[in-house]
This record gives sequence, structure tokens and C-alpha cells, in this order.
Amino acid sequence: MKWKHIMIVFKKEVKDIVRDRKTLFSSIIVPIFLMPILFLLVGRGTAKMSEEMTTNITVALTADSYSPAAQNFLKESLETQGEDITIVDPVDDPWEAINSKKAKLVVSLDRDFEDKLKALEPFTLKIYYDNSLSRSGGAVGALRSAITKLNGTIAEQRLEALGINPEILTPVVVETENVARSGDGNMMLMMLLPMIIAMLVAVGGIPAATDLVAGEKERMTFEPLLTTRPGRMSILIGKYLTIILFSFASVISTLIGMLLAFIINPSSITMGLGQIGGFTMDRGSVILCLIVTLLLGMTFSGLQLAISTYARSFKEGQTYLSMLMFVVMIPAYATMMIMPNDIQMYMYLIPVLNTVSAFKLVLGGMTNYTGLILAVATSLVYVVLSLLIAASMFKNEKYLFRS
Amino acid sequence: MIELKGLTKRFGNVTAVNDLSFTVREGEIFGLLGENGAGKTTTLRMLATMLKPTSGTARLAGIDIVESPEEVRGRVGILFGGESGLYDRLTVYENIQYFGELNDMPVREIKKRIQELADAFGMNDFLDKRAGKLSKGMRQKASFARAIVHNPDVLLLDEPTSGLDVGAMREVQAFLIDQKKAGKTILFSSHTMSEVEKLCDRIAVIHKGSLVDIGETEELLGKYGTQSLEELFVRLAGDGR
Repeated sequence: MKWKHIMIVFKKEVKDIVRDRKTLFSSIIVPIFLMPILFLLVGRGTAKMSEEMTTNITVALTADSYSPAAQNFLKESLETQGEDITIVDPVDDPWEAINSKKAKLVVSLDRDFEDKLKALEPFTLKIYYDNSLSRSGGAVGALRSAITKLNGTIAEQRLEALGINPEILTPVVVETENVARSGDGNMMLMMLLPMIIAMLVAVGGIPAATDLVAGEKERMTFEPLLTTRPGRMSILIGKYLTIILFSFASVISTLIGMLLAFIINPSSITMGLGQIGGFTMDRGSVILCLIVTLLLGMTFSGLQLAISTYARSFKEGQTYLSMLMFVVMIPAYATMMIMPNDIQMYMYLIPVLNTVSAFKLVLGGMTNYTGLILAVATSLVYVVLSLLIAASMFKNEKYLFRS
Repeated sequence: MIELKGLTKRFGNVTAVNDLSFTVREGEIFGLLGENGAGKTTTLRMLATMLKPTSGTARLAGIDIVESPEEVRGRVGILFGGESGLYDRLTVYENIQYFGELNDMPVREIKKRIQELADAFGMNDFLDKRAGKLSKGMRQKASFARAIVHNPDVLLLDEPTSGLDVGAMREVQAFLIDQKKAGKTILFSSHTMSEVEKLCDRIAVIHKGSLVDIGETEELLGKYGTQSLEELFVRLAGDGR
């Protein structure tokens, strides 16, 4: 194996791929433009959904329980509780009313509610909602909150009428204060960013890997290459470095895309669920996290090269390599909701999970050197293993000349 | 010179090439004849050091293919198929340059050699065009140039005229004659008997991986009492057809 030969192969492969519009487009151009569009659209959608759940909550009585007194009671008691609730005309069918947007929620009252109210007896207010529609299912919380306040108001009035201080109902007064040093959108970023980065590092090199061996076999350029002076390991490493380069190029393009989305609308990066900021990152952890990410890219580049060598044709390579995507997606999605405090030690030992964990840790401003060093050490083993697999495929005549 | 000594290749239980031993003399064009699956391509792949022999060995330009495969590759030019193996997204110049670099040629020498080859093959007009945009004839010339950019002593060609039209075929034949004049040792496999008859100094017929006979065309025709090379081929490698 000679470094000179490795670099000749590497330079040629980079030049070749850069001229391939298809690979360049899918690895680099698409993420730069797709990410801002994706984040802005999802962010706008989430913000709109959140707005729909908390504002202009229209509530209708069922025609069965309608009476002028009931309508007035709802207007006077629910529209005044600080929630954005409006009582609208009564409706016959709750489902039809909610789905035709006549009301977000429908309620029914006991027909003798006024008598029960006067007799200090409880009466039933039934809420009809459609949980498959966020504007309806999400609005239940606001209506419940208004009813809770109404209950409190009525209870206070009754106690006062009895000459009892209403404060006896609240022996414990709760006060809360958010002491987080980071923005409330950081949690969303901790969920999304590690997953996106781990997935892209692991699969970003697939277009290049497919082209570099399976593609060469199909175009019949592979055999002439093997008849040149360099040993197979030099050719292999040259191609391996190219795949790594394109894996990280696709990650960098995606991060540029996310940055663009952030510049256009800062809250879009957290899908509209708050602002990010106030990160406190430990420099050592950041470095170890980047090393783990690099090693993950190297591991998957080796696997991609091995799979591409096994494939007979470009199409076969694409099929096998797309399966690799699922292998990456499963652990990445499975750990999406995990927060830095929930990371278990075993997670630092498993590829993909180790990168997700390291990023969550860093974004959460936490340190766990034992975990991160373990992740680096095991990742090194995975890199060596994946390269050994790729090398054994590359040296095996059975796979190399499969046709 | 190419010397095969008991060259054998097995894939599992199948013996693709069985104990081949013969010599191709320096400066001659040697034809390797055999039906599909006779072991021609496997033999050429072993000589090109792409496949490792199961047993036996060969020496090309005095270098052993098992002991020094890298050195052998530096002394051999290979053309498998008529116009295959060019990188479509690279220019003709870059394609040839890449193989020059891989064969450890200094940059200045590569430049000079490409110019020589461009003049010899009439490629100056399309040297800077991407290979993917070339006509079949242009691609073929570029493939030849790339195969000999490092001025190899030995040329291994596996059915170089396969799938080519008459004009292109004549170009290949002219190329082989030129290379022979330049003192290269050429081993090539072919299905086209007229081509073999026209170009080869000697031939070897292989059947099911084993050498059936070897010699000059006229000598073999006389030995087996056949009128044409085609007849001879059917007799030696045709399974009694």
C-alpha cells in the first residue's frame, strides 16, 4: 500500500464524482435547499397547529340540551375565564359540527342544570371532541381549564355565602420558576439534531459508495483499474477516503441548510416549538463527540464499500445500500425522545446510538468522559472491523469478479 | 516474453484452467483460441495478476506473476473488450493521465507520452473531450492509448474486436501490427478465425481449461489435415461437432 497511489485514486474519484451531477445533487445540493424548506414548513405547520389549539376556541351546545338559559350560562361562565372561548349557535350532530368547522368543541348540559346549581348539587357538562383533529382534540385542554376556573369561582361564592374563607380549599400554594439556562427550544434541538447528524454521517456516503465499486463494475472500468500497478489496498483506501469525504460533505451541506433555516426564521429550527440559546458546552466533550461522529462515518464508509464490492451492478448496489439506511434509521429514531439524563452506559458502545448520545450530551451541556471515551474506543474497533470486511471483500476474487 | 508453467485455476470444484504450460516469444502475436468457457479470460486474468493461480505460475518479461504482481502490472498493457473501461466523466487526456500516474510515470513523461499517442492515433481533436461524449471509434482509440501509456513490454487482449464493426475491427488489427513492429509481445484471445489467421504468428487451442495443441497456423493445419483454421478449431475444440 502506497500513499502516493492512494492519493492518485482519491483525487481522481473526487474529480469524477464532482462531475457526476446526480451524486453531487443528491449528496450536497439537495440538503442545502431541502433543509430550510423542510424546517420552515414544519415550523410554520407546528406554530399554526399550536395557535389553532389555543385561540378562537368555538364551543357549541348540542340541540338536545339547548335552552336560552343554558346558552346564556355558557356565555357568561366560560367566555369570561381568560381563555379565548366563544359560544356559538347550537348544533345537531357534534361530529358534523366539528368537521365542518362550525365549532371546535361541542358540549351538552343536564337539562335541569339550573335546579342542580341552585340546590348545590353537581351537574354534568359533557365535552364532545374529535381527537383525530388537532384543532378539536388540542382545544379540550383550554375548555377544561376554563371549567376548572368556573368550578373554583362557584365554590368560592358558595363558601363565602356560608361565611367560610375560600382559602381553606388551597392549603398549599404552588409557585414555579424555570431555572433552565438554555432556551426552551433546546429540547427540540436535542431530539432532532443528533438524529439527523448520526443518520447523515452513516448514510451520506451511499451515492458515492454505489458509484465507486458497483458502478465501476457495471461500466467495466473496474477490471482495467485492477490491472494497474497499485495494490488492491491502495485502490480500496483511495475509494474509502472518497466515501468518507462525501459522507461529511452531505452532513456539512445539511448543517448549512439548517443554518439557512435558522437565519430565515430562528424558531423554525425547533419546528416552531420555542427558541434555542444559552448553550454551555464542555470543550473536551465537544471534541470527543466530533471524534465519535468521524469514526461513525468511517465505520459506515467501510461497510458501504464492502456492500458495493459485493454488488454485481449499480442497481444491485443501490438496493443493498438502501437496506443499510434502515439499519441506521431504527436506532436513530428509537432514541429520538431520549434526553441527556436518560442516556445509559451501553448506548455509548453501539454504533449510531453512541453518536446520538454524544450529541445529546453536548447539546444538554452535560459531561460524561467515561461514556465518551468508551464510545471513542469502541468506535475505533468498529472502524477497524468495517475496514477488514471491506478489505476481505476487495481481495476476494469471488466477489470482485461476480457478474 | 510470456512463460506459463503449469498454470492452474480452480473455482471450488470447477477447474477453469488446467496445468497450462507454453511460451509466447518476445515480439510475436500469439492467439489464444477456445470456445466460450474454455478458460481464455481466466488465463488472461491470471497473467494480468487479477486472479491468483491455484497452482503453477507464469513469468511476464521475466517477472513472476505470483511473487511480484505489482511489478508485472507495471510492465503489462491490458485491453479487455473493444472499447470498454473508460471513465465517461473524465476527458480522454485525464483517462490516459490517470493510468500513467497509477503506473508511476513522472508527470512530465505522461504529458509527453500522451502527446505522442495523440499524434499516433489521431486523437488531438478530442483529447479534451469527455469520454462519455465520444463516438465508438474515438473511444476505442482512447482505450488503446490508455492501455499502452506506460509503454508496456507485454500486451494482453481479451477479445479486443468483440462487438465491433468491420472498420473498428480493422483499426484494432492495425494497432496490433503496429505494436508488434514496436517489439511488443502480444497475447490475445479471439473468436474470429480470419483475424487470428491474419495476425498471429502462433496459436494455442484450449478446451475445457486444458491445452489441446500449440504451433504455427500452417503447421497445425498440416498436422490435422484441415483446410481452414475454422475446421481445425472445430476439430480440436468443438466437442466432436
